[in-house]
Amino acid sequence: MKVQISSVRIIQHIGKISLLAGSLTLGLSGMAQAETFRIGITQNNVGVDSYQTTYEQAFKDAADETDNVETVVLDAGGDVARQISQVRDLIQQQVDVIIIWPTDGQAVVPAVKRAKEAGIPVVVTNSNIAEAGQPLIAAFSGPDNIKQGAYSAEMMCDQLGGKGEIVQITGQPGYTTAKERQKGFEDRLAEVCPDVKILDSQPGNWNREKAQRTMEDFLTSYDRIDGVYAGDDNMGVGALNAAKSEDRADEMIFIGATNFAVGYEAMARGEYHGSVYQSPAEDARNALETAIAVAQGKEVEKMSYFDTPKITRENMDEFEKPVF
Amino acid sequence: MKALLDSFRPGLTNREITPLQFFGKHGITIAFFLCVVIFSLTTDKFLSTDNFFKVVMQASIIGTIALGVTFVVIGGNLDLSVGSLLSFATVLVVDLHDKVGPGMAIPLMFVFTLLIGSVNGFLIGYLRLNSLIVTLGMLSAIQGITLVYTGGKNVDISNDENTWFDIFGRGDLFGIPVPALIFIVSAIVLQVVLLKTSFGRKVFAIGGNGTAALFSGLRRNRLVFSTYLLSAFTTACAALILGSRVMGSQNNVGQGYELLVLAGVILGGTSLLGGSGSIVRTVIGVLILALIQNGLQLLGYPYYSQWLVTWVVIIAAVWLDIAAKRGKLFSSY
Repeated sequence: MKVQISSVRIIQHIGKISLLAGSLTLGLSGMAQAETFRIGITQNNVGVDSYQTTYEQAFKDAADETDNVETVVLDAGGDVARQISQVRDLIQQQVDVIIIWPTDGQAVVPAVKRAKEAGIPVVVTNSNIAEAGQPLIAAFSGPDNIKQGAYSAEMMCDQLGGKGEIVQITGQPGYTTAKERQKGFEDRLAEVCPDVKILDSQPGNWNREKAQRTMEDFLTSYDRIDGVYAGDDNMGVGALNAAKSEDRADEMIFIGATNFAVGYEAMARGEYHGSVYQSPAEDARNALETAIAVAQGKEVEKMSYFDTPKITRENMDEFEKPVF
Repeated sequence: MKALLDSFRPGLTNREITPLQFFGKHGITIAFFLCVVIFSLTTDKFLSTDNFFKVVMQASIIGTIALGVTFVVIGGNLDLSVGSLLSFATVLVVDLHDKVGPGMAIPLMFVFTLLIGSVNGFLIGYLRLNSLIVTLGMLSAIQGITLVYTGGKNVDISNDENTWFDIFGRGDLFGIPVPALIFIVSAIVLQVVLLKTSFGRKVFAIGGNGTAALFSGLRRNRLVFSTYLLSAFTTACAALILGSRVMGSQNNVGQGYELLVLAGVILGGTSLLGGSGSIVRTVIGVLILALIQNGLQLLGYPYYSQWLVTWVVIIAAVWLDIAAKRGKLFSSY
């Protein structure tokens, strides 16, 4: 065990040294250009999915293209403790703005508080932090998940012609994104389509295989299903797989969210009917722009949402196929 | 050792059996039929051939892995790495499918999956490291390898209508879904291996009493190594089913599956300390978990009821097992 502990220490040391080196080069370049803003970002878990991978790349690209911006790009690897220590490091480096992609909306609040006390404004990106942290942050930049849910409800309503019985496959239980999309969908559906009934909702855990199993059980339960709403396209395609294997896909409307490449392709084949287009690059650019505006001392909207338009078969030519 | 003796000396079972021992021995089978009866009475959709095969098919991924893991557990070890190994294998076979064709992708996937299994087997068998620590570490390490391999992207089979790869997850043979068939056939083969071959008996022996087995001339290291190869092999079979069923994969597709697998194995009465267990009962254990999930969803109950019921069933099964062994329901000290 002793060996393991010391190796962890070594890794930590290496991390600190590289951070130090990073800040040193930043410091040097900062001297060369007086007006440069330094923005530090600690991300959730780069590499775990294509969205986050593309986000990081787009963030770096956008920073390179923008004059007078230096960035410190960190990744918490999904670990709350590491994210909190990264925030502490960024405070020590006295960056102008800290961007946080929370690993845990609740647990990062004290770290945000510490940054605010140190006089460094915090921008939260992609998924918001808990209510308790809201007064502490300068802005939130990301998708409006409630609105995305509402968009899906409107598309479902349109395509069903205002009448029908549907099932819902939600994301991981307990995730803010999953909850907000479900709420947005259910509330809006009741408004625009009171005659569309949600037969049942079950989680698909953002996992296509799990969503497929859930849909198989829905197909056993209900002899007639007119539509399926899935919390993202990955699960939506799982539901489509299940319906196709029982030759019942034709009778259904499939609506998802966060358009994935597989969803885009299924839409092109006419099997999948609607989704919400959420570009990670747009997400990253919006976060950087918001952070720069905060650094310049400009007034920014507390909720700085970026546009996530509806995508259907009719308008899909206007969008590029998603990279994930 | 007692359980081992029971399963190999049928003559012993002629002794008088108390009701407690009966329930301890057959409790899992009774629970299985109880589940079937309850769900059949409460929902009219449950009891049909279609739904039965559906449940077996849904259980096939977890179930096939659990078959190999049962050997590992009987041998006195644990395998927590199967979840991320499943992610790795599925990502690999799906990604290679479009690059080199299914005919090459499948053997390559088996080779790399068995390679990882042999790393587990080497560390635990030959270096005698603690299996919990090794496989817990492998769980993260394999996840890392998978992420590096894909760069975080999902992988998909581009033309899923025109490939023979679809038989493993979507095909039918004699009216039975192929995933269910793979699961059942592997179970029968491995049950025979466990009970009728010297390999099976040796695995019981090293799990029951490693020292005694050593003095009897068994090569513990090689046997442990083989059990991990076996669990990697069944995981690769499960990856074949998963990849073909979904026609795509994501990096964390098997996340948490290791615990479902272990739950099925424990529910089947395989002792976590090693030395006793059975493939048939693992199959029943896995099927019970799948039945609970299927039945409760057909009843329209929310998802968390499944977690609660699953927990209650596992506790009841473990309790019955222990109570039957000590001959009393409650511990007297």
